[in-house]
Amino acid sequence: MKTNFLFPYKFKRAGWIVFIPAAILGSFYLFFDYTPDFLHLQSPFIDSESMFSATNNNLIDEISGVFSIIGLLMIAFSKEKNEDEFISKIRLESLLWATYINYIIVLFGIIFVYGSAFFYVLIFNLFTILLFFIIRFNLVLHNLKKEER
Amino acid sequence: MKNTIKVERAIKDYTQEDLAKLVKVSRQTINAIEKRKYVPSTALAMKIAYIFGKKVDDIFTLEDTDWD
Repeated sequence: MKTNFLFPYKFKRAGWIVFIPAAILGSFYLFFDYTPDFLHLQSPFIDSESMFSATNNNLIDEISGVFSIIGLLMIAFSKEKNEDEFISKIRLESLLWATYINYIIVLFGIIFVYGSAFFYVLIFNLFTILLFFIIRFNLVLHNLKKEER
Repeated sequence: MKNTIKVERAIKDYTQEDLAKLVKVSRQTINAIEKRKYVPSTALAMKIAYIFGKKVDDIFTLEDTDWD
């Protein structure tokens, strides 16, 4: 009867372990152009200049992007220790809330940010919807736990 | 929706935690129901009534705002 499409509770901590190093790696790449040599690869993937031909690529952005998203998904959508109907309701509300906030920010980005800076808006946008969800959901849960009996 | 969970708990001398464990939800859920911030599902309402040995109607009653 219960199908809620959530990961087991244990995945939450694992998500943080996956996400934090990936986020740190990704920030180094984005802000300091950090591209370690051992991640250079002749990759057979698609590239804008020459479709389907081997291109020289540094894997740092792929690795940090993939693991950041996997980590965030695990943090966001793991069951709470005590996942019940009320928590599911808060979860859905938070997801709606995060979607609104996310798109408000994207709209601002579209209107006020131009050129290559807009590229950064799009990159951060890959992660913000999940981040906003995680922040809002956990804040509400935290406030509920704190509430007097 | 009004409810008498707090009263029923007092009669049986249960804490929110005790009741939460008996109906397999979190303490926060019981708290939210008592404070009328959350209306439980039919299944949960029936479980709570069952624990107190009463009918759902004895514990939960509609109020005017429920018809809005």
